[in-house]
Amino acid sequence: MPAELRFHTVDAGESPQESKQIEQLLTESDLGWDSRVETFVVCRKGAALVACAGIDRNVVKCVAISPAFRGTSLSLQLGGELLKVAMERGHFHLFLYTKPDNTVFFRGWGFYPLVEVRDKVALMENSPIAIRRYCSDLRALRKHGGKIGCIVMNANPFTLGHRYLADVAAESCDWLHVFIVREEASMFSYAERYELASQGLSHIKNITVHHGSEYIVSRATFPSYFLKGKCTVDQCFTAIDLLLFREHIAPALEITYRYVGTEPACPVTSRYNKDMKHWLETADSRSPSIEVVVVPRITLRGSPISASEVRRLLQNKSLQEIKEMVPETTMCQLINCFGDQRRETEMTDGDDH
Amino acid sequence: MKLRRSMLFLPGSKAAMLSTAFVYKPDCVMFDLEDAVSLREKDSARLMVFHILRTDAYKGIETVVRINPLNTPYGLKDLEAAIRAGADAVRLPKTDCANDIHELDAEVARIEMECGCPIGRTKLLAAIESASGVINAVSIATASKRMIGIALAGFDYVIDMQSQRGDGAKPELFYARCAVLHAARAAGIDAFDVVYSDINDDAGFLKEVELIRHLGFNGKSLIHPRQIELLHNAYAPTEKEVSYSRRVIEAAAKAEKEGVGVIALDGKMIDAPIVSQAQRVLQRAEASGIRR
Amino acid sequence: MRIITEAVAGSLESSDLLVKVSPSRDKTLEIYVTSDVIEQFGTQIRHVVDDTLKRLAVTDGLIVIEDKGALDYAIRARVQTAVLRGAACKELNWEQLS
Repeated sequence: MPAELRFHTVDAGESPQESKQIEQLLTESDLGWDSRVETFVVCRKGAALVACAGIDRNVVKCVAISPAFRGTSLSLQLGGELLKVAMERGHFHLFLYTKPDNTVFFRGWGFYPLVEVRDKVALMENSPIAIRRYCSDLRALRKHGGKIGCIVMNANPFTLGHRYLADVAAESCDWLHVFIVREEASMFSYAERYELASQGLSHIKNITVHHGSEYIVSRATFPSYFLKGKCTVDQCFTAIDLLLFREHIAPALEITYRYVGTEPACPVTSRYNKDMKHWLETADSRSPSIEVVVVPRITLRGSPISASEVRRLLQNKSLQEIKEMVPETTMCQLINCFGDQRRETEMTDGDDH
Repeated sequence: MKLRRSMLFLPGSKAAMLSTAFVYKPDCVMFDLEDAVSLREKDSARLMVFHILRTDAYKGIETVVRINPLNTPYGLKDLEAAIRAGADAVRLPKTDCANDIHELDAEVARIEMECGCPIGRTKLLAAIESASGVINAVSIATASKRMIGIALAGFDYVIDMQSQRGDGAKPELFYARCAVLHAARAAGIDAFDVVYSDINDDAGFLKEVELIRHLGFNGKSLIHPRQIELLHNAYAPTEKEVSYSRRVIEAAAKAEKEGVGVIALDGKMIDAPIVSQAQRVLQRAEASGIRR
Repeated sequence: MRIITEAVAGSLESSDLLVKVSPSRDKTLEIYVTSDVIEQFGTQIRHVVDDTLKRLAVTDGLIVIEDKGALDYAIRARVQTAVLRGAACKELNWEQLS
């Protein structure tokens, strides 16, 4: 029965005055204001704001507690409140970024370490078994022996470029695993992207096309990939996504090679590809290296074929020009959708290769 | 004669408090399912209280469950939980008239029957939180044989009166206190005073306790365990009161032994109410010694 | 009783526990318990959890528990609450809950 602590939520943009107080508390804790936070759970004692924790969809961030209240029961109350607020907003499976030193603290909130970039950042999730279950599901689809390769693609939409990359990879591997990015942040829905990729890759015999997950190029593992119109990449975040791949996903499927196309157009993807060599091959990790194979892009009349170019042409209603850049299955779909009416083409983002 | 000086409120959803508060030895605990529990925790708190009551953690302490009003979606389920878990009493909030108690009484009887517990075992307490409640205090206090007490709840009452809570010695509750107390005494049940919510203000708390003790309240609802000892001490008799009471009881015993109808002490006649009063004094002294 | 939706009950505070339930993928009942006091009380906690689920006749679901040193009564109450929420069950069967 300590003096009364009151918890409530502050939605982004709801109260400039409270936002300012939150920002001040974050600054005191060496944390920056994050504009992607949708809601803050804040704790007040009397008029004073003594703690806050933010949620950006299913990602917890900006957790700060006023020094006088650290090590008290407040932190656990805050963790509980946060969980309930996230639940009410439909987020049950949560991720959390923090400094590696703080992972012990967040164990108390029911978060478990997933992956860590030494001295920089750690990603945790609020389940002791979710990643284990996911990997055991993957293991059931494992193909033993020889050279096992992997491609992660957004396929927004699936082009001849994607097909070429997969052909090259499948040719040089005994088995190829392809993951389609699951996050719904693209012009084409996940269902469409998955369907077109499956169709466009159906001619390859030694391939498994996997559904994507929260553990591969998702808002949780790679937030900057989904930032509209911004091409800044936080190195730590590419590291998180790539180490998660190296330490959890690749071992489950015995993947030893990862294939990417060269990336001339999109800075985010370009940076991601560059970081890939570092984090998959040379960086310190508890898991063995994964060799990164960069495959030059297939070109059409001197220009590389890319999904972003296809989307650009779609915006200009140049369906005819697209015909030579995508397989027939994709073309049929494009004609179905864009033949007469124009679809909103706003949600464009990083291309994959 | 049950001693009911302190009634400690425990939020039904707080595991840490439910698991430990018996160590403070209040006369009664009130497991709260109403105001201290947020809407989304009603179901959870109900089951917490149900299960803590089924343990013997609060053995020797009277257990009361404050249910939600029966016209909410929670009230009846709360009542089921309280009775089936064997709570000593149920406290009904916002009691405005005798009919509120009649309704509750009927539901309690039905549930007692259904779960096979002795009819009449579950006692009732009415909390009065409005002007109508105060006006109807007598009929509320006498509305059921199960009634063991009425409690004044100040927070809603002062709002209803368009007043506000003062520092414990202000007169905003004067009429309500007197009305509730008279109703309780006329019905032969106990009367409980309001909570004192500034837990850091011992002086203010003690001032209020002094006032209600003088008025004649049996005790007070408390929101913090540290108020228990302060309250019990304030209700403890003085040395002088204890020695006088002992002599009264001895005189009464002697009169009974000798078969004399009249009890006399120091040449004065002592009648039954004085003997009862002496018994209460000795009971309080036994519970928490001499006032310090 | 089956868990049909994700649900949470309890808290992370001392003497309490947090119970998270979610639908099972393969119609099995899976239970995971972590606790500050797993060394001394792991078996007892697990026993109370199993018994509570059995009385509620929970046949499938994933139950994840973060225990913070809760007593048995709290374990029963929080597990029951999470299950009833996750099974979208509004009626209380007091025999099952006892």
